[in-house]
Amino acid sequence: MLYPAVLLVRASLSQYSITGLYQGAVGARNYGRLAAQEALPTVVGNTVVWVVVVVAVTVVISLGLAQFLNLEFPGRRLVRWALIVPWAASLVMTAKLFVWIYDYYFGILNHALRTLGLLDRPVDWLGDDATVMGAMIAVGVFVSLPFTTYVLLAGLATIPGEVYEAARVDGASAWRTYRSVTLPLLRPALLVATVLNMIYVFNSFPIVWALNDRNPGFGHDTTITYMYKIAFKSALRDVGLSAALGVVNVVAILLAVFVYLRAVRWREQEA
Amino acid sequence: MSGRRRLVALAVTVSMALALTACDRGAGASIKVVIADYSKEHTRPFWQALAETYTKQTGVKVDLQVIDWNTIDQQVSTMLQNNQPPDVLNLNAFASYAKDGLLHPAEDILSPKTKDDFLDAFTRGGEFRGKLYGFPILSSARAFFYNRALLAKAGLAGPPGTWDEFLQAARKIQALGGGTIGYALPLGPEEAQAEWSIWMWNNGGDWKSGEAWAINSDRNVQTLSFLADLANKHKVTQVNPGKTNRTDGAFQLFKDGKVGMVMGFSPLAAQLDAEGKVDYGIGLMPSNTGASVTLGVEDYLMAFKKKGNQESVKKFLDLYYQPENITRWITAEGFLPVTKSGLRQMSGNPKLRPYLDALPNARLAPTTDPAWDKVKLDVQQNIGLAVQPGGNPKQVLDQLQKNATAAASGR
Repeated sequence: MLYPAVLLVRASLSQYSITGLYQGAVGARNYGRLAAQEALPTVVGNTVVWVVVVVAVTVVISLGLAQFLNLEFPGRRLVRWALIVPWAASLVMTAKLFVWIYDYYFGILNHALRTLGLLDRPVDWLGDDATVMGAMIAVGVFVSLPFTTYVLLAGLATIPGEVYEAARVDGASAWRTYRSVTLPLLRPALLVATVLNMIYVFNSFPIVWALNDRNPGFGHDTTITYMYKIAFKSALRDVGLSAALGVVNVVAILLAVFVYLRAVRWREQEA
Repeated sequence: MSGRRRLVALAVTVSMALALTACDRGAGASIKVVIADYSKEHTRPFWQALAETYTKQTGVKVDLQVIDWNTIDQQVSTMLQNNQPPDVLNLNAFASYAKDGLLHPAEDILSPKTKDDFLDAFTRGGEFRGKLYGFPILSSARAFFYNRALLAKAGLAGPPGTWDEFLQAARKIQALGGGTIGYALPLGPEEAQAEWSIWMWNNGGDWKSGEAWAINSDRNVQTLSFLADLANKHKVTQVNPGKTNRTDGAFQLFKDGKVGMVMGFSPLAAQLDAEGKVDYGIGLMPSNTGASVTLGVEDYLMAFKKKGNQESVKKFLDLYYQPENITRWITAEGFLPVTKSGLRQMSGNPKLRPYLDALPNARLAPTTDPAWDKVKLDVQQNIGLAVQPGGNPKQVLDQLQKNATAAASGR
């Protein structure tokens, strides 16, 4: 665990030739150069939108899904299995599949929306600057749902039936029961789901890479795909600079998780 | 006293010699060969068989790694970072490796017979500071593909020769309606430098003028403006050409019969033949100067300097360059020869006719300049922005020129 981290930090303090040949230590220079990259503000903005929206939407939908799957109904087992499928499929395959679903000429999304009369002309979902991020977020949510739903489902299973009975005896409405009994007791599961999702979504490479690979420049990159482009796919071709961003990435996500946990605990104390 | 000193010196010499031979044998017992994956069907089987023959002949084992194009840059870079370079590497670039002093020059690693068999253009394409470091492994050339059915439907007698004819043809094909596209223009990051090279050269422009980069020359601005107009003014391309890649974009549309014209190469022809859906013809690139130019691509084999690997690597390269071996593989992959003997053998192949005909007018990208390895990536990432609505061709080329000049000065 520790050794790769040490290597990453060391690489970030070094200079490498375009071939990958080590050319000596340069101190913190790579960090200064990173801060000066013109694309950095855009990329950081993209990353914040990507993580916040995907995690928030995923958790909200998963709450509903978990509640639904917690009900007794015929075929529940089947639905539960079906929900696992996108989780079991490789992210790369899923991302490639969505590239074709979104395709301007061949994609079924345009076809379906036009057949339904919702669109009068096709949309280049992955080429139009206005729709790329939304398209990526939709896939990000899709692949995050199974894990999140199962964590919340497990959380629901730990809530004893007696507390619901007590609520019913007190004459609480369904919504009131949900807000005052279910949600507070689900809190640990919610916390786990949110934190793990923040980390997964932040580090997610395949979706952003595959859905954005046709677009020039760095206008829709997150810090993870930007890191890869710095090292191998841009004129920079600089492993040291890329490693510096790698270190910043690790620190940033740890910080984000810390801030989130602090905020949550703060609210708890207030309540 | 002096006798003892001599004895010590002798002992040191002997043990050093022993250590060196041990080292020699240790390094020579196996070589690492890294090959890019040109096709699932042919690449690994050919190199696997070649490695087995080689081991049988020399007793030296081969650690063969066939790596796909998407990740090969990254994997090779990692090997070098970890100080575990391959002995033999196949890539589409070599100059940066030569510049870093990592490679054996040809005179140390190729037999004269092998070296003399290379076609002159490809020898020149592998030189760095007067020495040959990038040995040609195979080559390819682009050609102009057109959909015969769509051209006929649009009332065109044949493929366009000039840019004016090209624009007219694209307009007429686009006007057929029903989702038909005049010309598929892929300027997305995958391979934009290739598409751009061809248009640039056919308008009399170039990457460099003498030794200096000349990416933002007036000619080139004119060329890129022409391409932007195809997309935004005349609207004869697919949607968002600056955000369309070659393989899953332009080629896919052509294979589907939606596109009148596209710049392709022999692997596209092989796919079209296998699918049998599109009746296509192959011609010369339309030119604005009267002389049609196409892009030739040379891929390289390099031999990395490692202690004591010289003999083993030399034997391996000589084995690959035996005419029956190299020609068998290049033919199987559908590419073009790089050796005189190969050219003689393959010139009878009717499928290769259009490319071999185009080869005399083929030009290579400036791959002998180490700065090109960065310029190429810069062009791939940025030139597409110029043909988007509101894009500014001059501004994009100015920026590319600025970066190229900086890369050339070694910054």
